Amino acid sequence: MQIRYFSQLKSTNLKAKELAKIGVKPWTVVVAEKQISGYGKEKASWFSPKGGLYFSIVLPKSKIEDLQTLTILAAFIVAKTIKENFFLEPLIKLPNDVLLNGKKVAGILTENIIGKDVKSSVLGIGLNTNVEKFPKELEKTATSLKIELGRKVANVKLVKQIVQGLKEQLKTISE
Amino acid sequence: MRTKIKIGEKTYDVEISETTENFIRVRIEDKDYFFAKNEFGEIIPVEKESIDFGVLTKESEVIWETLAEKEIKSPIAGTVSSIDVKKDQTLRPGQKVATLIAMKMENEIISETSGIVKEIKVKENQSVNSGDVLIVLE
Repeated sequence: MQIRYFSQLKSTNLKAKELAKIGVKPWTVVVAEKQISGYGKEKASWFSPKGGLYFSIVLPKSKIEDLQTLTILAAFIVAKTIKENFFLEPLIKLPNDVLLNGKKVAGILTENIIGKDVKSSVLGIGLNTNVEKFPKELEKTATSLKIELGRKVANVKLVKQIVQGLKEQLKTISE
Repeated sequence: MRTKIKIGEKTYDVEISETTENFIRVRIEDKDYFFAKNEFGEIIPVEKESIDFGVLTKESEVIWETLAEKEIKSPIAGTVSSIDVKKDQTLRPGQKVATLIAMKMENEIISETSGIVKEIKVKENQSVNSGDVLIVLE
């Protein structure tokens, strides 16, 4: 696993897609401390201030028929990591969101490039870890681990756990 | 694969194509010669007459595939979120032609070949199935 840190990026998915196009190794991870224009599905913006965890993974190429499982697997791993580290009870809103107490704590966006076969897959995860406060329009629908736990969490440790977990899970389905 | 082979003073046009996994057709100056793999994996010449029905089916599949390259089909089921080409536009291999959303994933569909967009078969927000034609090329 190679992790590339950036103090800020427009979007970690955009950066990871660029890297995928030039052919970096699978499991290259792009992390940004904040995103200027982080986005989720259909380019809906993802609130990405400093404190949160924003990262994208260049995945190994998968079969077209396996693509649909990538996002769900990632949601499962994010929920599992939250549960095991913090003893919280996350809920997966299929296929791509993770909720805590009914509010969104994480979102996943997988972006693929497909011709006759899959050319590249990039999986982006936005996890509200140490986000202190959300803008008014998001207060009712978004939360963070810090808000739920009342303390800070270690971002770097979480990235490593999630990527490692996903790697193991993907190995299982490809076997 | 096409090539020219010069033997003495004469140059021969040679085209080699694989009709199935086991049969290879070598066309020399418009005459076809067939080769097949025997049970030991060795390539041996075979008579045209010995090519059975199964092989003919495979040959028609080859032709179908050549035609299919003139169409860009949806590799997955989903909703068309954008069409990124216009009629009469020239495409290069690798160029993005459309975005499909499936299972909340964004899928950039690219053209594998070069060509000119003859017809766009789908509209934005339309649902498509895997295998549906998105764009016809000429």
